[in-house]
Amino acid sequence: MSVYDFTVKTKRGEDKSLADYKGKVLLIVNTASKCGFTPQFEELQKLYDDYKDKGLEILGFPCNQFAAQDPGSNDEIQQFCKLNYGVKFPIFAKGDVRGETAQPLFKYLTAQKKFEGFDMNHPVAKPLLDALQKNFPEYLEGDGIKWNFTKFLIGRDGEVVARFEPTTTPAAIAKDIEALL
Amino acid sequence: MIRVYSFESCPFCEKLKRYLTARGVEYEVRDIELDEEAAKECEKISGDLMVPVTTIDGVNYVVGFDKKKIDELLATA
Repeated sequence: MSVYDFTVKTKRGEDKSLADYKGKVLLIVNTASKCGFTPQFEELQKLYDDYKDKGLEILGFPCNQFAAQDPGSNDEIQQFCKLNYGVKFPIFAKGDVRGETAQPLFKYLTAQKKFEGFDMNHPVAKPLLDALQKNFPEYLEGDGIKWNFTKFLIGRDGEVVARFEPTTTPAAIAKDIEALL
Repeated sequence: MIRVYSFESCPFCEKLKRYLTARGVEYEVRDIELDEEAAKECEKISGDLMVPVTTIDGVNYVVGFDKKKIDELLATA
């Protein structure tokens, strides 16, 4: 069993086998459908610009499960939404990423790489954790996806190499990507 | 008339609209996702497609749900 055994839906509703990405380094990300943590889109695009010619592909999976809530009114969390992602990497069809209704790909990824906590040095870590404890304590249990922009790094052979929480910025992952390219 | 540029499933837009309603302020909603004309206007005003954008005259505007700035804008009405 590997990520190549999974088929996902494109925005147009077509099936896309992840086996089509064999040999590439993949960064699989659950994105916010439109809001929250938007700066990460820009950083993801930067990673894509820097490494796509060397074999990186970024796959974005929009999910509404976290969209209707914003983790507090901390200044670090911008109080607006952006219509277009402004990114050039593939964004797939909207779907769930946690719980019973999660897409099989995400059930697999979260089983492969467990939740090991947030990086509390990240400015949104505290308000995010506070908001989760207050509103969705069940989200903090187990290894399910905690919030938008959880990132899974997949090696050229399909192995799930690492999981990065929303509190790890895409820029901070560059060295891990380079190690696999 | 106050105009609010927004789209559906934008929680900050919803917050803003609820706030304006609670204050008894009348406003017109322009959906930048469904209405291309509204999107063009929005981009012209703020230079981007971020919402919510609140404006009265299309010149002075507030991006996002920032109560303090919204109050200041309303005070000019």
